[in-house]
Amino acid sequence: MKILKEVKISDNGFVFNSKTGDSFSLNPIGLELIKMISEEKEMEEIRQEFLSKYDVDDLTFEKDFYEFCTLLKHHQITVQNNSLEFN
Amino acid sequence: MIKRNITLAVTGLNNTDNPGPGVPFIRGVKESEEFEVRVIGLVYENLEPGIYMEGLCDRIFQIPYPSAGSDELIERIEYIHQQEKIDVLIPNFDAELFSFMKNEERLLKLGIHTFLPTLNQYKEREKNRLPEFGKKYGIRVPSSLNLGSLGQITEMEEKFDYPVMVKGQFYDAYLSGNNEQVKTAFLKISGKWGFPVIAQEFISGTEVNVVALGDGKGNTVAAVPMRKQYITDKGKAWGGITLADEKMMELTRSLIRQTKWKGGMELELIKTKASEYYLIEINPRIPAWVYLAVGAGQNIPEALVKLALGMEVTPMQQYKIGKMFVRYSYDMIVDLEKFAAISMNKEI
Repeated sequence: MKILKEVKISDNGFVFNSKTGDSFSLNPIGLELIKMISEEKEMEEIRQEFLSKYDVDDLTFEKDFYEFCTLLKHHQITVQNNSLEFN
Repeated sequence: MIKRNITLAVTGLNNTDNPGPGVPFIRGVKESEEFEVRVIGLVYENLEPGIYMEGLCDRIFQIPYPSAGSDELIERIEYIHQQEKIDVLIPNFDAELFSFMKNEERLLKLGIHTFLPTLNQYKEREKNRLPEFGKKYGIRVPSSLNLGSLGQITEMEEKFDYPVMVKGQFYDAYLSGNNEQVKTAFLKISGKWGFPVIAQEFISGTEVNVVALGDGKGNTVAAVPMRKQYITDKGKAWGGITLADEKMMELTRSLIRQTKWKGGMELELIKTKASEYYLIEINPRIPAWVYLAVGAGQNIPEALVKLALGMEVTPMQQYKIGKMFVRYSYDMIVDLEKFAAISMNKEI
């Protein structure tokens, strides 16, 4: 998954998609996640970092991670060949 | 740098909840580093807010509605010209453009410069001709049907599913969800703007717009894309943001290149979920949100004045992405004398 080059992420969690004009607010965890995704880290690497840093189990992390990715796709924050493909 | 003195006449000082582009246009030209501008405000109504805004216009003249006839309007302009020696005239309403385009030569002979689309350019982008326009220039447009009577609603229902957009020739658009709503919109619009009333297929998506300027030779002198962030119940932008959208820019450049568009324009587009762009309207003049383009780095009003005066304008390629405008309303306290003067003397 790749974040669009038109998407700007501020350190305070404000995300602006200059292609669509949409803006979003992320909480600190969301910000950490999107930064890791924008650095093109693989899910496995992100998982390891999160499991070691936070009190979260594997299953919960995976569920939340995929939910977050679906949101990113839905709001056209990630590069998509077919914008109707949400999964 | 020594500034060139010019006298600029502008219409559209109606900064109401359905604002004209006159005030932001003047604001843009006043920021020019090349012109020292004397502004003549041309108004139709005696309560147009631009009349009362301090420091905006040097003189104000009331002019007759285009419906009173082209000759009456132009004769009034000639009278104003005798007093003020207008260098450039910028009309800002769709409904008045036809009269000014038709009299372009007559005005130029007097020394009044304009920079307007040709009659052919103006006509072929009319709302009731949009399907042909889309076909000719290879742009997606919604299907539409020109309604001349209520009886045609059945024909429309066979062609489109609800909801449909019901639009007037110049202004007004209503989203109509059933037969009754179409009838109401049809009567409202035809009573105000005449025929045909246009029924347009409803395209679901995000409304995005481009303000652009063509030099009449196929070159895009300026273009800034914007998304409305806050829309009034009249569908007007009350807040907007500049976008980084190369597809919109390419569409604009292609359209200007093919049509050799002369003058300002606003493209109204719908971007669907599948990232397809549908052209829903072309306004043959600059829009009321033009000051966003100035703020983003493209002084379109200044460039338009330069083109009207036959000056060279280097195409503007860059603009700041993520620049926003937020409109506001403001109560001015006005002395009765000014209102009385414009009401009685038709000039201030």
